[in-house]
Amino acid sequence: MSTAEISAKNVGMVYRDRKGQEITALQDVSFDIEKGEFISLLGPSGCGKTTLLRIIADLLAPTSGEISIGGETPAQARKKLKYGMVFQSPVLYDWRTVRENVRLPLQIMHLSRAEQESRISEMLELVGLTSFANHYPKQLSGGMQQRVGIARALAIQPDILLMDEPFSALDEFTKEKLHNDLLHIWRKTNKTIVFVTHSIAEAVYLSDRVFVLSPHPGRLTAIEPITLTRPRTDSMRNSEQFFELVGRIRNDFEGGSI
Amino acid sequence: MAGRKKTLNTVCWIIGFFVLWEAVADIMLYLLHDPNAEKKLTAPSLILQQFVADAPHLLTEAGITFSRAAIGFAIGAAFAFLLAVLMSLSRLIETTLLPYLLLSQMIPILGLAPIIFSLVKDLDTARIVIAAYMSFFPISINLLSGFKAVRTDQQTLMYSYACSKWQLYRFLILPSALPYLFAGMKIAAPLAVTASILVDTLSVQDGIGQIIVYSLAGGGALGAFWPAVVLGALLGVISYNIVTLAEFILVPWDRGEAGKEKSA
Repeated sequence: MSTAEISAKNVGMVYRDRKGQEITALQDVSFDIEKGEFISLLGPSGCGKTTLLRIIADLLAPTSGEISIGGETPAQARKKLKYGMVFQSPVLYDWRTVRENVRLPLQIMHLSRAEQESRISEMLELVGLTSFANHYPKQLSGGMQQRVGIARALAIQPDILLMDEPFSALDEFTKEKLHNDLLHIWRKTNKTIVFVTHSIAEAVYLSDRVFVLSPHPGRLTAIEPITLTRPRTDSMRNSEQFFELVGRIRNDFEGGSI
Repeated sequence: MAGRKKTLNTVCWIIGFFVLWEAVADIMLYLLHDPNAEKKLTAPSLILQQFVADAPHLLTEAGITFSRAAIGFAIGAAFAFLLAVLMSLSRLIETTLLPYLLLSQMIPILGLAPIIFSLVKDLDTARIVIAAYMSFFPISINLLSGFKAVRTDQQTLMYSYACSKWQLYRFLILPSALPYLFAGMKIAAPLAVTASILVDTLSVQDGIGQIIVYSLAGGGALGAFWPAVVLGALLGVISYNIVTLAEFILVPWDRGEAGKEKSA
């Protein structure tokens, strides 16, 4: 048994469309992700990156192969609340204030009131929303809503943070600020992060390694280590090395069958 | 500012409406010398006058009608809630029950009310039963749509927390369906009042409907007719506004103000 935090062996996902035709969403995907790594699943739409994330999260069952989460099945890991999920839309509960949104998973976990309060304060502090604790989601900007989503995901103290294109609906400036916020949070909390994106630059800026996926059928075509030093800073976005990495990954796609 | 302008607008329209009504009634009575002018179009000033003169009696009867409507509404809403939850829990229950619920609304209430009355043999019980009967359907159907309108991503999130069925209802499905519940109750509340008035007219004992029937039949007591009709309409408006107020208090996240877009 490997020591990897997340390990995939020959994972495949085949489903039938309405006409009964078989569609291969994922084919023979294998990888190991170490504890504390920041991994991006990168590819165009139809490459199966979101499917792969959902399989890891136990929201979908693969039709072949298996995933191991530190020796457990994804279902076991989910039931032990090892995953924090962040979606493309913030998925906040409109009827709950920011504070109560972060409280929700803690209520489900039956934590004591005192424990809930201390975790909520800590998380809101971490994402810089302490002064907005009593606002309703509709009163917040898109970037702030997404930060609530991140706070809520981290509140359950998961081992793994699964993020499905969390910043893709945000404007460029908000997005770049949240990149730095996320890296800051990652450094402080030492989570393993799996981050789905279709932006090469985003994947390069954030990740330790970029998993490059290609469509039709969805498969893992390359794993690119990102050699930029940590901590990442905004100036790196304009560095020679950054452009070189972006260019190399773009080549991975052009060499493939896109 | 826009809100105040709108209020002013509404007030002007209402005043204008009554002035016109009064003017036409007066023209018919004093200029055209129509002998039936007061029956054809009673002047609002006269209605008000009669209302004030008869106020204690009118309000007592209105209270009887309204309180029975309210009890019936509450029972109907509770029943509607139970039905909606059951139907949302099981597709089988939904497909079995729904045709009967629809059918129940096809029976003309004018025919059903006397049957219920002769069955229960008590005016108050009949009023409550009919009010409940009229209320439950719109509430149940709206609430069921609310349960079904729960966003899939919100459900997925709950699934990722490994929550129980009870927690799913308590934390997600019930609160997210609250605006639908209130939409249904806004339709049902005036219906319950109408139902209660309808039952009043069956047994001429008490209630606002009794005054209406009595004044129509008696001819001479026409003076009580218009105030009673206006009061009956008012009861419907009041019931609607009580539900709206309850929604304002219980659904604070859905208020107009909170929905305003804020810039990033």
